Amino acid sequence: MGNGWHGKLLRVNLSEKICTIEALNMDWAAAYIGGRGLATKYLTEEIDPTTDALGTDNKLIFATGPLTGTYGAANGRYMVVTKSPLTGTVASSNSGGYFPCELKYSGFDMIIFEGKAEQPLYLKIHNQHAELADAAHLWGKTTDETEDQIRAEFHGDAKVACIGPAGENLVRFACIINDKHRAAGRSGVGAVMGSKNLKAIAVRGTGGVTTANPSGFREAARETLKMLRTHPVTSEGLPALGTAILVNIINQSGALPTNNSQFGTFDKAESISGERLVQTYLKRNKGCMGCVIACARVTKLTGSRFTGSGEGPEYETLWSLGATCGISDMAAIVKASYLCDEYGMDTITIGSTVACAMELYQRGLITEDEVGMPLNFGDADVMVKLVEMTGKGEGFGNKIGLGSYRLADSYGVPELSMTVKKQEFPAYDGRAIQGMGLEYATSNRGACHVRGYLVSPEILGLPEKLDPQAIEGKAAWAKAFQDVTALVDSAGVCLFTTFSIGVPQVTRLLNAATGSNHTDDQMMVAGDRIWNMERLFNLKAGITPAQDTLPKRILSEPLPDGPMKGIVSRLPEMLPEYYSVRGWGTDGIPTAVKLQQLGLV
Amino acid sequence: MIRLQFYGLLRLMLSGKESLELPWHEGDTVGLLLEKFQAVEKIPVTGKLIDEHGTLHAGTIILLNRRNILHLKKLDTQVNDGDVLALFPPGAGG
Ligand code: SF4
Repeated sequence: MGNGWHGKLLRVNLSEKICTIEALNMDWAAAYIGGRGLATKYLTEEIDPTTDALGTDNKLIFATGPLTGTYGAANGRYMVVTKSPLTGTVASSNSGGYFPCELKYSGFDMIIFEGKAEQPLYLKIHNQHAELADAAHLWGKTTDETEDQIRAEFHGDAKVACIGPAGENLVRFACIINDKHRAAGRSGVGAVMGSKNLKAIAVRGTGGVTTANPSGFREAARETLKMLRTHPVTSEGLPALGTAILVNIINQSGALPTNNSQFGTFDKAESISGERLVQTYLKRNKGCMGCVIACARVTKLTGSRFTGSGEGPEYETLWSLGATCGISDMAAIVKASYLCDEYGMDTITIGSTVACAMELYQRGLITEDEVGMPLNFGDADVMVKLVEMTGKGEGFGNKIGLGSYRLADSYGVPELSMTVKKQEFPAYDGRAIQGMGLEYATSNRGACHVRGYLVSPEILGLPEKLDPQAIEGKAAWAKAFQDVTALVDSAGVCLFTTFSIGVPQVTRLLNAATGSNHTDDQMMVAGDRIWNMERLFNLKAGITPAQDTLPKRILSEPLPDGPMKGIVSRLPEMLPEYYSVRGWGTDGIPTAVKLQQLGLV
Repeated sequence: MIRLQFYGLLRLMLSGKESLELPWHEGDTVGLLLEKFQAVEKIPVTGKLIDEHGTLHAGTIILLNRRNILHLKKLDTQVNDGDVLALFPPGAGG
């Protein structure tokens, strides 16, 4: 089509084993941008939000954006959109690597999986040819093994997205791994894939993607690349230290949740820091396709206790398998991170669930007999063992595989699960960073940092420094960040570019690619539209505004340590203002006027 | 004495050095201490935190006793004997 799109989606009915090519709805593509927005529009139109996330009627959508496969701003991302088995909300998980561009270059913009295969299958795409193949021989294999096997039997240059044993075992936070180490990580999208008996998608695409205004695009891309190459965060900080640079920053800021959020600082943070990773297991940095930032960490374990090599751990993982479990053993964290990739599990949720189990043990609610071993905070070997048991579906690992909310609830103490809408917090304390607390409470997929990363202004000072303890204006900041992120996720661009580029640059790239002439404000409205569409899905799914809240600990237990000592979240003061700036009623429901303005009725 | 702690790129540039102590003098500010720090290092280090006009880079974090100086008096913030100054060149993640 020559406008960032091929105009084609592949529909795969797994029950019938039929692949059909359909025209992409270009009106929807214009209104919902692509990726997260467009796929959510399809999901909303095609499934009943109350459907069982792991049932046959749920659908699983892999979506690129109009910028996926182009260049200029780390334009190599895709989204997996479905209903989440962890939260019951809409799930949309983002990933990079090489798979997303390869999918685009095959000539398809999007794949919709529906139904359920009787036997394990995988999808093979070679340009415009798509077919389902038997995957019985791949079932039970790790993501590494699966990719190697598929490349050996299908095409040596194929790019693969697949699930590991965790997805097959319906671990509620199983992820989809592409290119061995990149994860569509959160909300259990891998379990949905497993529930459909779909093991993998392998793509070989040799085409390209063309833009409506090539010279305008070149110019826009030149501007963004220059900004990315000169901003100290995207040109120096992220390449040299990756996301792991945050461990010391967040700990010093008193916002590093420790021992299941019982504390806000970790006295051994230095041992699990990005600086320490550079000195120990880091081999080099690496980028997703076409990315000039290259924040990924290529690592290798040396030493006798643990072996292996891979990518990561990221900051989130250093925290989840580290600080929040009270663990300072870097080698164990790196090993557990590899295991999470191999079994296909979200590192944030599993670490946080292990931490929750440790607190249940600390309180005498879980016994040594049940786990098969003591479960003390700080015990790295036990953490690694539990990660393995969860991936394999063994013993107490099956309880961990439910996520922390269902685990804590089964012991009668759901309040000890550090979750919103049953999804675990990422690595920032919602008391120490007030805007993040608001963002967690209102995120459309449960607690999440990549729905509106207010850490950027509140701690990092980007694009400007806000006081993390102030609440004034945070509602408007949360809305703005949520809407921008929805736009960026839908465009097909990596969120990390937004540390240096902004809405004007994304709009310029989108206009040149799609041949449109949108203003920055119109693009912000598109983000708002996507956000409200997700909210409507959740409301129809039975997720009420009463769930826009935080665990009791964050609301009423003051932080006992660090520079933010004595502080609780002031969510009750911020939430009404948030509803108001969103144009919602005081009940948290989008008003008819608001929906009318956004074209959502 | 004032303890300066180094993080991120700064630590990598200083070959892994984590901290340094500098003598404290009445009237010391964060800005003055950065000048003293630069004077004792052989390589240009403070350029990672501030530009040639002495303005903090976007994303630079300097914590004085764990409080961001942007919420105090920035580089003019007074420093007292025994204070700890943590220096983070711009970095980010998610
Ligand atoms: S910034 Fe990092 S995660 Fe984003 S595209 Fe580049 S390498 Fe991938």
